[in-house]
Amino acid sequence: MIFSAVFLIGFSTLAFEVLLARIFSITQWNHLSFMVIGIALFGFAASGTFLSIFNIRRGDRRPQSGSNRQAITIWVALYASTTLLAFVAVNNLPLDYFRLPVEPVQSLYVLAAFVVLALPFFFSGGMVAFAYTRMPENSGLIYFATMCGSACGAVFPALLLPFLNEGQLVVVFALTPLLVVPVSSVHLPGIRRAETRQQSLQIRWTIFCCFIVCAALFLVSPYGQRLIEVQPSPYKTLFQVLQFPETRIKQTFNTIRGRTDRVSSPYIRFAPGLSLRAMESPAPQGAIFKDGDNQLVLHPPDARQSVQFATYTLPYSGYALHPGAQNALVILQNGGSAMACVLAAGIHDITLVAENPVSAEIISRHYGREVVSRPPRSFLSRIGKQFDIIHVENWGTSIPGSAALNQDHLYTSDAFCQYLKHLTPDGVIIVSRRLLLPPADSLRLWAAAYEGLKKTAAKNPASHLAILRNWDTFVLLISKQPLRNTARLKAFATERNFDMVFLAGMVSDQANRFNQFDAPYHFIEIDRLVAAYREGTENAYFRSYLLDVRPQSDNRPFPGRYLKWSKVKSLYRTLGSRLYALLMSGEIVVMVVFIEALLISGLLLVLPLFFVRRRIQKPSRAQVLYFFGVGAGFMFVELFFIKKYILLLGDPVISFSVVVAGVLIFSSLGGAWAQKKEKSALKTALLILLGTLLVTYVALDPLVQLLLHTAPIWQYAVALLVLGPIGFLMGLPFTIGMRDMLSSAAQRAYAWSANGCASVLASIASAQIALMFGIGFILGCAIVAYGVVFFSWQQMNKN
Amino acid sequence: MKKIILILVGVLLSAFAGYADQVSDGSDIKKARHHMVQATIKDRGILDPRVLEAMQTVPRHRFVPDNLLTAAYADQPLPIGEGQTISQPYVVALMTEILGLTRNQRVLEIGTGSGYQAAVLAEVVNPVYTIEIKEKLYHRASKTLKLLGYDNVNTRHSDGYFGWPEAAPFDAIMITAAIDHIPPPLLKQLKEGGRLTLPLGNPFSYQNLVLVTKKDGDLIVKQITGVLFVPMTGHALKKPAP
Repeated sequence: MIFSAVFLIGFSTLAFEVLLARIFSITQWNHLSFMVIGIALFGFAASGTFLSIFNIRRGDRRPQSGSNRQAITIWVALYASTTLLAFVAVNNLPLDYFRLPVEPVQSLYVLAAFVVLALPFFFSGGMVAFAYTRMPENSGLIYFATMCGSACGAVFPALLLPFLNEGQLVVVFALTPLLVVPVSSVHLPGIRRAETRQQSLQIRWTIFCCFIVCAALFLVSPYGQRLIEVQPSPYKTLFQVLQFPETRIKQTFNTIRGRTDRVSSPYIRFAPGLSLRAMESPAPQGAIFKDGDNQLVLHPPDARQSVQFATYTLPYSGYALHPGAQNALVILQNGGSAMACVLAAGIHDITLVAENPVSAEIISRHYGREVVSRPPRSFLSRIGKQFDIIHVENWGTSIPGSAALNQDHLYTSDAFCQYLKHLTPDGVIIVSRRLLLPPADSLRLWAAAYEGLKKTAAKNPASHLAILRNWDTFVLLISKQPLRNTARLKAFATERNFDMVFLAGMVSDQANRFNQFDAPYHFIEIDRLVAAYREGTENAYFRSYLLDVRPQSDNRPFPGRYLKWSKVKSLYRTLGSRLYALLMSGEIVVMVVFIEALLISGLLLVLPLFFVRRRIQKPSRAQVLYFFGVGAGFMFVELFFIKKYILLLGDPVISFSVVVAGVLIFSSLGGAWAQKKEKSALKTALLILLGTLLVTYVALDPLVQLLLHTAPIWQYAVALLVLGPIGFLMGLPFTIGMRDMLSSAAQRAYAWSANGCASVLASIASAQIALMFGIGFILGCAIVAYGVVFFSWQQMNKN
Repeated sequence: MKKIILILVGVLLSAFAGYADQVSDGSDIKKARHHMVQATIKDRGILDPRVLEAMQTVPRHRFVPDNLLTAAYADQPLPIGEGQTISQPYVVALMTEILGLTRNQRVLEIGTGSGYQAAVLAEVVNPVYTIEIKEKLYHRASKTLKLLGYDNVNTRHSDGYFGWPEAAPFDAIMITAAIDHIPPPLLKQLKEGGRLTLPLGNPFSYQNLVLVTKKDGDLIVKQITGVLFVPMTGHALKKPAP
């Protein structure tokens, strides 16, 4: 029973975690969900602390098997009920982050969200820690069952989301572990009297039936359905749009990549970068929303007249530069005005790429054109075709700063290098974005394009670049040859009242004519950057500038991240000294959560030590370090691969599912294998693991680049294959440690707690490490963590 | 028994009176408003006496939800439901001032929201036209404006994209809704020499104002980088490149 219980608990918990991340992506923003879920995961570690104290106080007495079954029933029932409670409570809590500074009760709501969300993780962790403390000799099998269950939990939401919505799935997954309750009542050898057995049977069936009725109420009754319905935040674009009259959601698609809503409305008219000189208004458009935000509009497909307004938008400058363009590659992330431009330009040979399969399907049906649904970089690697126009469109989210954690490989210097290779000799790359002040995005993208051009051996990269702006958007143009038709570009800008920000040889008078700032800030900064590149002092420039505007590479692909920690104070002042304004930045949230996590970890690890009476119960420093290192190392490796594979597999959620399922399955096999091995096998295993991680550090990047050229089936197969040996070897240290290196239930529970704390801390730290130092650095941390494990193991053996 | 009833009635009345004092224009409220005008508006450079008077007159607390009454006069935006906000007082005052209004000018506001900005405009000019596309907000704001006696404010529930052609041309247009482009119909309804303003950025993080002036057929956009974020911009540009 215990193995099936830990399997189902592992399965349910990971599925719940995946769904929670999904739900928060809809109801809030990614970085705010990061804050809540990050802290809630401490429930795992807290369960170890609780059991550690519990075992210390009861003196490590070994219970009878009958009481094991009762305990399992209680753990499982508590897990299921708190999971339901947590979801329903958080889904209906009137929590509004924007009201935090003005409504004191909101602090209570945040606290309530932390506490109720920690409960299911507490009981889930408690169940698994209970299994380790009661059956240490079967640590390998318990590990195998837990990891297998978790691996399934990582994959099943993806498979079921098209059929059931997020709320319904949470209910189903929450109740899944209860399957062990009636099953366990078939044989109860620990209970002798028939009467007691009969009573026990009745109680368990009653518990089971209660939960089934509860599930039915949620899934069938209208009131229950309302309680579990997941609604987008009222601050998101979708909610705002739905307030318009005659506006409704025509279709909703739930997949693991996100919720896609197709909306029809007579009031949507999206035309960023539209000149004030434009006489034509855009026609009403349909729209697609991903997770309630990221609006992508659909123009009337049939009449070229309805998109004529696009000839008066900034991005059209690229088309004006190359009037004879015959074909175009359009990469649509959000927005949709690129489609209007390409249609207005009369280009017929259009290659459309929209990574999300649901969006691709909708766009394809709407325009009656084939749409490639693949990661754009991977798609480009596999084709040899060259394009006259490459138009990349993404205007960002509705809250500035919230995209700081978003990993995006379309704006790196490596990406620009790849675009340039797919450009015809007269071709133009068009990148359109929102204009930020102080200048940030424009500087970073200019520099990334400059670096990309340098890699393709352009003699004078600056002569290939131009930037135009209006009052709130800018467009970056990159040509394969040095720009020749600059007069045409200048005329286009003048006619439409756009200003030049950068064009080789331009004068400052052209920078602030129609859209006036107090000073031509963007021109001045680009000019300084150009001078820095000319003199080879670009690194000094990037160091001295107030924001982090360094060009991003594929190893550090966070185009929305601008924060410099050394300048936080002045940033705080310029935001009106409002703390909550700072908290809109994803990076600040990560740091706040990390500090909170450190404090909670300290508390959870110190608390049990106050209860220790006998020396045997106290874990040694080496033991604590060992399990801390195992937890941190495991999580660092997982996070490294998740982030690395995004370039290959495209979507972060797909990368998450593949890596988590792969690592957990392989490590479960490692755990099962370790069941039969002596502890001496660990030394070799750890040395091989360290060696493999070092090889991965060196060889993974070239391998990923190579895989980009292959078919998806090979990409998935090789990605899993790489995870195989590492996952397998990572399954050994925890299993052998639990079985052979600890002597009491209290120590095992404490080790579980240390492992849990390290896992949460490492997962939060990974986000910050990737932002600051690049993704590769996360693997470096994993190597250090496993190095600590190795030396702690040697220390324990000496003792 | 009678005494108990009397005491209960007394307690209820005093509680009601306290609440009424809060929602009406009690002395504490007036003090808070005075402080708001002095400390967060006048001291930050808003000098137009008619704008200052309007900010001093309009009871901002009547336009915010009951649970946020205590923060009504703080210099920050407040959520008013439906994912909407009432702008921070300084932004309201600045947007009104930069339009350079005189008493008998016609002003169009796009995005009524709570109705607060329309009320401030109504203290400065006559008449004011305001359009709200969201039905709930339209009804709520119309009711509040009527209750407060702003008869010179004309409200309409429709799509602000097309403006109010029957009442055009306007001397000034104020857009308080989030937009990605300035609708061409609105520019057509702006008088020669007229001004249009709108805020950029998110009300919870930073905002700049945009001022469009129609002159000799040309449309000149000026960014008023005075709301927030100025020190950083200025600071960034003072630092020379190494």
